[in-house]
Amino acid sequence: MKCRRSRGYTRVTESVGSLLEVRNVSKYFGGLAAVSDVSFDVSEGEIVGLIGPNGAGKSTMFNLISGFLPVDSGKIIYAGREITGLKAHAVARLGIGRAFQAPTLFMNLSVFENVFNGFHLRYQKSSWKSFFHTKGALEEEKQARSSVMEILEFMGLARTKHVQARNLPHGHQKVLGVCVAMAIKPSLLLLDEPLSGMHPEEAATMGEIINNIRSSGVTIILVEHNVGAVMRLCNRIVVLTQGRKIAEGAPKEIAENQEVIEAYLGTDDEEEID
Amino acid sequence: MSITRATKKRVLGLGVLFVVLALLPTVVKSPYYMHLVIMTCDNIILGLSFSLLYSTGLLTMAAGAFWGIGAYTSALLVMKAGLSFWIALPLSGVCAALVGLGIGSIIARIPGIAFLIQTMIISLIIPEVVGYSDFLGSWGGLLGIPGPSSIGPLRFIGKTPYYYLIVVLLMLNVLAFVALYSSRVGRAWRSIRVNAQLAETLGINLHWYRLLAFIISSASAGLAGSFYAHYFQALEPGMFTAFKSINVQIFAILGGLNYYIVGPAVGAAIMTFVPELLRVGREIEPVITGAVLILLVIFLPGGVLSLRERLGSFSWRLAKRAGSDEVPAEPGLHTGD
Repeated sequence: MKCRRSRGYTRVTESVGSLLEVRNVSKYFGGLAAVSDVSFDVSEGEIVGLIGPNGAGKSTMFNLISGFLPVDSGKIIYAGREITGLKAHAVARLGIGRAFQAPTLFMNLSVFENVFNGFHLRYQKSSWKSFFHTKGALEEEKQARSSVMEILEFMGLARTKHVQARNLPHGHQKVLGVCVAMAIKPSLLLLDEPLSGMHPEEAATMGEIINNIRSSGVTIILVEHNVGAVMRLCNRIVVLTQGRKIAEGAPKEIAENQEVIEAYLGTDDEEEID
Repeated sequence: MSITRATKKRVLGLGVLFVVLALLPTVVKSPYYMHLVIMTCDNIILGLSFSLLYSTGLLTMAAGAFWGIGAYTSALLVMKAGLSFWIALPLSGVCAALVGLGIGSIIARIPGIAFLIQTMIISLIIPEVVGYSDFLGSWGGLLGIPGPSSIGPLRFIGKTPYYYLIVVLLMLNVLAFVALYSSRVGRAWRSIRVNAQLAETLGINLHWYRLLAFIISSASAGLAGSFYAHYFQALEPGMFTAFKSINVQIFAILGGLNYYIVGPAVGAAIMTFVPELLRVGREIEPVITGAVLILLVIFLPGGVLSLRERLGSFSWRLAKRAGSDEVPAEPGLHTGD
């Protein structure tokens, strides 16, 4: 019964128009198909997990959505607008934020400055006003500074605001990566393995953060190897293997899907899934 | 609060600097030393234009070439078109900026080594183009370039008026650059230099911001060139070969690449005065500058200004303690300390 409800849900969002529609997208590196004919939808307010074994094309998929790689064929539609072929900065401008797998930060800047630099898109005043340091521009900057602190407090990094990013522990660096991505006020956030390299306590905190971000109205796509966390966090899961989509559905369905178990979960036992 | 304290310190520092610069000609009587001071100021502008590009992560070898473009534009506008220097000066900045726009829109797309080599090629080509063009005075160069026409009681005779002119130009450049570095444009540049990939995900158009830096950098190098043409009153293609650009690079590296304003100032002063005071011949000067560059990169990659951090001098530690509650701001902006 659950299965049917889930399918119905997908069909409804298709007709309404999802936040992100990936349509028959393919990407080749040389002759090798890194992503081949993949389609899936992401509706507003969801956390969608993108899982699959190494080399399944998950990170490539992220690079395609965020404009770092050009799509070879197919379409990507975001908020009703085709974004296929847009450059990364233009995609960011439309409200798609991204946190990288390896902590990608402004390493020699402080935690505060890392997030502050992320406010580039949020200024309304022109660069000229910023150049001449007009009252309005300075006021706006002051507001930005307090927004930075809000983000850092929301993510629990406020205490480390003066610390150089490179001196943060790994777990905090990953959280900071998410903070920087949040600085552009995204509607859709792409998180590439946010839990990798974290000990269970940090992973639990990160899970909480991800849930909080979703509650604040941001839709999330998550690539993650920690299956337990994916099952707990995601509303829906898309499974890729060798660049092809082999399954899509609620966590329970995915866990029971024979093809997925063969291709990916393999010998994983039930306890880990729960 | 800490921000206003830093600003106060900065303003105070600038005030002291301003008084020192204003009174300098009354202390330094020798025209020879005034000449060195004037050349230092002209070189500082070039160093600043190099640092501006470095702040976006681009290393240029074309600073000298744009200096030459500015110098020739200005000289030709005055000699052939009969314009006043005061119109030719801004126009030569505009012209250098336009050339920067043209070249930059092609080469600023690819950062790193490719950019370095392409700017190197530009600084090799431009003197050749000038040398083979009769209109531009060919290899013999342009002679008898008139000095700036007098404005009111101010007549350009002797070193002092030129000194004040170049100081005003330098201050305008410094003000504009400080304003840029502390604006969101400067933050975008810094983001690109530190991590271009991340900057792109934050919506920063890498090409546009690199191009903007290239244009501004070209314009200020052009202004410095325009001044030089009317100060020295003679130009020849040998003045802005690749050596000039390498020297500019050394100004910035010698001072300290992380100090966008003070670094080039210190570096340009040392590189202008020391070879002169050591009475180094023109022929072996490149040998020495080359050796300086190699030694610098090996032993003092942070530049002269990084010495105070290395030595952990008392005042620096004090400043650090006093400023410990503020975000460590842009290192290049501490013009006052």
